[in-house]
Amino acid sequence: MEAIQFEKVHFSYEDADDAEVFASDSAFSLCGIDLTVEEGEFVAVLGHNGSGKSTLARLSNALLLPREGKITVFGMDTADEKNAFAIREKVGIVFQNPDNQTVASIVEDDVAFGPENVGVERAEIGKRIDFALNAVGMQDYRHFAVSRLSGGQKQRVAIAGVLALKPKVMILDESTAMLDPKGRKEVMDVVYRLNREEKITVIVITHFPEEALMADRAIVMNHGKIVAQGDPKTVLADEVALANCSLALPKSLELCRRLQERGVDIPDSFDAETIACEIAKRLHGKAVLAQDEQGMLLEDEVAGRIVCQNVHHIYDGETTFSSHALNGATLTVNSGDFFGVIGRTGSGKSTFVQHLNALIKLPTAEKRYKEKKRKKSAPVEETVLRVGEFDLTKKTTDFTALRKYVGMVFQYPEYQLFAETVFEDVAFGLRNFRADMDKTEVENAVREAIETVGLCYEEIKDRSPFDLSGGQRRRVAIAGVIVTKPEILVLDEPSAGLDPLGKKEIMELLHSIHKTWCKTVIVVSHDMDEVAENCNRIALFVGGKVLAVDAPSALFTTDFVKDEGGLDVPFIATIAHKLYEKGIEMHCPYTLKGFVNAVANAGRDGNE
Amino acid sequence: MSNVSFGQYYPTQSFVHKCDPRQKIVFLIVFIVAVSLSTTFYALGACAFVLALAVAFSRIPFKSLLKSVKAVIFLLLFTAILNLFFHKGETPLWEGSFITKEAVYFTLFLSIRLCLLVLASSLLTLTTSPVSLTDGVESLLTPLKWIRFPVHELALIMSLALRFIPTLGEQTSRIMNAQKARGANFETGSLIKRAKAVIPILIPLLISAFRSSEELGDAMNARCYSGSKKRTKYKKLTFGWRDLLSFLLVVALLVGVIVMRAYLPAL
Repeated sequence: MEAIQFEKVHFSYEDADDAEVFASDSAFSLCGIDLTVEEGEFVAVLGHNGSGKSTLARLSNALLLPREGKITVFGMDTADEKNAFAIREKVGIVFQNPDNQTVASIVEDDVAFGPENVGVERAEIGKRIDFALNAVGMQDYRHFAVSRLSGGQKQRVAIAGVLALKPKVMILDESTAMLDPKGRKEVMDVVYRLNREEKITVIVITHFPEEALMADRAIVMNHGKIVAQGDPKTVLADEVALANCSLALPKSLELCRRLQERGVDIPDSFDAETIACEIAKRLHGKAVLAQDEQGMLLEDEVAGRIVCQNVHHIYDGETTFSSHALNGATLTVNSGDFFGVIGRTGSGKSTFVQHLNALIKLPTAEKRYKEKKRKKSAPVEETVLRVGEFDLTKKTTDFTALRKYVGMVFQYPEYQLFAETVFEDVAFGLRNFRADMDKTEVENAVREAIETVGLCYEEIKDRSPFDLSGGQRRRVAIAGVIVTKPEILVLDEPSAGLDPLGKKEIMELLHSIHKTWCKTVIVVSHDMDEVAENCNRIALFVGGKVLAVDAPSALFTTDFVKDEGGLDVPFIATIAHKLYEKGIEMHCPYTLKGFVNAVANAGRDGNE
Repeated sequence: MSNVSFGQYYPTQSFVHKCDPRQKIVFLIVFIVAVSLSTTFYALGACAFVLALAVAFSRIPFKSLLKSVKAVIFLLLFTAILNLFFHKGETPLWEGSFITKEAVYFTLFLSIRLCLLVLASSLLTLTTSPVSLTDGVESLLTPLKWIRFPVHELALIMSLALRFIPTLGEQTSRIMNAQKARGANFETGSLIKRAKAVIPILIPLLISAFRSSEELGDAMNARCYSGSKKRTKYKKLTFGWRDLLSFLLVVALLVGVIVMRAYLPAL
């Protein structure tokens, strides 16, 4: 039976009744959608931001109504008001932001919210909570406060909240976009199981091609229209069509294609094992050897250098959640590094970067630590924290000057914008740090910063930052930090929440800033592929300590990133590891380009 | 921001935790009345004894309870000093002293009273989860439904507010850190300057709150929310022996205080 059926659906957020407005297709967010989703199907809807894919979700359970055309859910017309609740009971939506969809503070109360709304009996609600929490693997968290859960766990609770209504269809509206890779996997595993075991129809709206690969059918949307649909393995193999919709290939296929371009004649594949086998066949046992690409390393230069030894930090000792956030962290970041900081949530990496511009002041924080140590009468090792010329262990350090020296971009920096115009917002830091600058100097600096982040100064300076698109807002926020010309730029998850193309663009932007603007760039990231692709050195944080600092090709070769660090391994490193296991000597960079070059060169030598 | 004691439920299983939230609210109200009607140190002593009993049975560490007093310490000191100097009295503390004996007693009396009120209120929030607290309020206000007072909506707003306190707290500290990193200064400068410095925090916070509420509204609608009509409740409130016991205790206290008020000379 058809679960959801769209017939020539048009939808627009414009309210006007003006016929002229709707004369062109561009006024519509959805434009003539015909779509049938069968019961039990697993459908993935792909599209870049603004392609209309989220509108599709809201139309499917009568949160929005079509302007033209007809939508039926199990035979019920969504336009009929009487059907609204029956439809919403059948079609559940899990939204994007894990923080904005739980209603109650405690897990079980939140899961109970749906059944309570439709008037389910008390005993039955209890059973449904059991069922829903078991289905998402959160039964042990029943009495937990939602605010203490991780992002992936919160989303699983949100799924449980929808499941408790016993829906036939579950729609995930970019529910994994704000999660780290681990949380994303948690959620997708749950969704996949629900589809296979509970026979729930699943519609996953996403911009990650890897997630679409799990589906029975992939649908690609662009400008409010369906431009392609079919078997995910076919749809996701059409690089040109995907690029036209600002979408990317899955990582596995991208590697195949790049190798093919370099004359390594392997077939398309989505599976790491197959790809490794095929590459191994072409190599004939030849070693893959290539030097790491060296950046402009200035090991001896002090400016832009960070020396950190034995830094400890304890959060508020009074709460039950107090812990050693940093427990003797030791590392050196060289001037000119594009440095990656990785580690699981709670490994101390955020605490570490907050030390760098004295958002956590070491002398004050240290006092607390030393008192504790003295009680235990353990010897206190000397702490060193030097950032460029600044000695952060001294109370006399000029912290304002330090904050100008170390620019810090937080997660989702667009949420810190506040001024009326883009110009004013970007100039905020300048006015704080450089009161001595006159009007023209400020204007020049702001212009330069806005142009550096790839935006047009004249076009954008007088607009409100809140009118811009998400990607533009993030760029403006970055401009607001680099405008004071910091020597060191620290970014916490700079690409979080962006689609693959947006991620790529932001990283390219950071490289260009690194070349022309800031000596040292430090990126905290959960995305292992991203750090392997972009950073020349990486520090792995585990339990408040720095376990290793090394180049990606050395760090990801060892198993302890997975075992000790609890992190994924980048896709390229996985392939390299598989090749190594097949007896091929491997030493090459783990960037896509570097790896492809190395394999192509080795393959060519093999053929000669 | 993380050490906001308000709404910070301290989860254990104790006598007080297991009490019906309605009874705990009633207990608090009766207790407040009793404290307000107290006119002597004996009466306050009785109140303090009952509260101490409740604290002992709640298994809340005294340290967490004291935090709530810390929050109002300025108010406490301010009123204390004011009263110390301006309360009218006859017998000076010592020869030629401006402060009188009566003022000292009165100040002491008032401070104890205030402490008792604060401690009792935070005992309620420490032993009652936000959800059951709002359930209790909703249930107690049910009679108001007859005059079309939106009881359910009020309770929902309360529980949502409680639910969003940690989220907003987190957002505030993140935005504050971001602006500090851009050189904003919230700690020094004149009052006007400091008030102005709040704008870069307030605006992003408001905007994100609006966005949150919009998304939350969608999420609630998607889960079939339609107001109070035909809604059921998963958690049923039951009035048990614990509640009866504590109810009798607090009523006894009230009676005792009234009796003392009638027969003992006021301060």
